[in-house]
Formats: sequence, structure tokens, C-alpha cells
Amino acid sequence: MSAEQVFDLSVKARLENLKAVRSYIDRVGAELGVNEQALGDLRLVVDEAVTNVVHYGYEDLEGIVEVHMQRDGDSVVIRIRDQAKTFNPSHIENPQLDTALKDRDLGGMGIYLIKKMTDEAEFLSLPGGGNEIRLVKYGAIQAVS
Amino acid sequence: MTTINIMVGQAQGNVPVTILRVEGDIDAATHKALQDKASEVIESGSTHILLDLGGVEYMGSAGFRAIHAISNMLRDDDSTGLAKSPHLKLLNPTEAVGRVIKTLGFDVYLDIFQDRDEAVSSF
Repeated sequence: MSAEQVFDLSVKARLENLKAVRSYIDRVGAELGVNEQALGDLRLVVDEAVTNVVHYGYEDLEGIVEVHMQRDGDSVVIRIRDQAKTFNPSHIENPQLDTALKDRDLGGMGIYLIKKMTDEAEFLSLPGGGNEIRLVKYGAIQAVS
Repeated sequence: MTTINIMVGQAQGNVPVTILRVEGDIDAATHKALQDKASEVIESGSTHILLDLGGVEYMGSAGFRAIHAISNMLRDDDSTGLAKSPHLKLLNPTEAVGRVIKTLGFDVYLDIFQDRDEAVSSF
């Protein structure tokens, strides 16, 4: 995999662009032959990751988010890049799934879903500033038996 | 711009049931519309809500935060522990949305129905 990649979706980091981001995943996923279940997972995790970039990276200020999706064997690798402040959510605690809704804290579900629905999820600080989220889904390009 | 449509209906189970049918994607851009509509009907007196997700192709964690908030708005103080909510139930989620419901453990605390009449009569 080359170090320099073309990020073929570049949009303003705004919540109103989440649908365009999901459409990109659907379109490229179809081109790559990603199975339906994996595509649903990837649509979700990329939406969650970009939502975090908007809210916590850029803190709802102006910025650009770029997304690249490609095949690696039967896996799919997605990179999401921004120029926002360093944001590493690895330490965020999982939601209290075994607790009744009324006793749970709101939030924490997005990061949990990203970790749960991918096989690899890395949150990297770029040397020149900004962040890159690297998500890998194994066996995504296979027929679901 | 992403939008969702929310239609409000009424049905009679053992108690009056307000049905909120959502059409569109529930994401971070749209979840507040659902929460606001639920808040509006609750302030108008609704105590039992059936959330019809049949028209929702995509729902992310923001949608689940909205459902969580609606559940909190409706909760009765004497409901205990791990019992399912008697006030909020879900209808007809797609397979994809249903998988996320299970992943986040919402199915443990909210009843989920595929049939509208069965759902209404369960209240």
C-alpha cells in the first residue's frame, strides 16, 4: 500500500455532509464488491468517525475531511483524514451496555461501534498536524454464506 | 441537506398510544428533529410511544442517543432495574438497524415488534 494515497472524497466537515459520506461508502463499496453486511457496518463506522471529526476535532468550526476506501485482498481499508486538533478517542470508555437505559450515560456509543464493527481501528496523529483514522474490515469482499 | 419526516399517529391499546413514524436517515444531522418531535408529543400528554422505524434505512449512534433521551423523558420513577420500558417500544426496524440495536444492547431494554397491531395491543 503506497504511503501517498489519493483521498477521493473531500468535503467540508459539516453534519449536513454525512449523507454524502455514506453515499461515497456505498458507491465505492459496490465497485469493490463489498458484501451487504460489511457495507452496512462500514457505512456506520465511517459516519460515526466523521461525526467525531466534526464535533470533537473541528469542534463544529470550518474544516475539511477526506475519505479514502480501497481493497486490500479480501479486506477493505478506509482512511479518514482531517486537519483538526489532535483527537484520540482510544481512552473513551465503552457505554454501559448491561445497564438499564434510564441509568446509562448518554454518549460513548459512536466510538464503541467503530471498535466493535471493524477488525482494526487506529487513531493516528499526523506529523504535519491533523489526524488519520484507519479502519480495516476483514473478509468484507466475500459472499455472505 | 439531510432531513427526516416524522408522522404522528394515534392508536388505542390498553392505553392510548402515540405512533411516531420516521422516514429518512437518522444521523447526527437529523436526530434532534426526532427528539424534538417526541418532546412535543410528550408535553402534549403522550405517555406511551411506539417508534416506527420501518422507513429508516440508516440509523447511527445519534439516533440511539435520541431514543435513549426519549426513553428518559417517558420513564416512570417506579420502573426498576432491567425491566423493559412499558412506555417506549420499537416497530419494524430494518435488518441493518436491528443489528445495531442488538450491538448496543437496546433490545434488552426495549420491546421490538414487526407487527403494528401486536405492538399497539402490547401497551
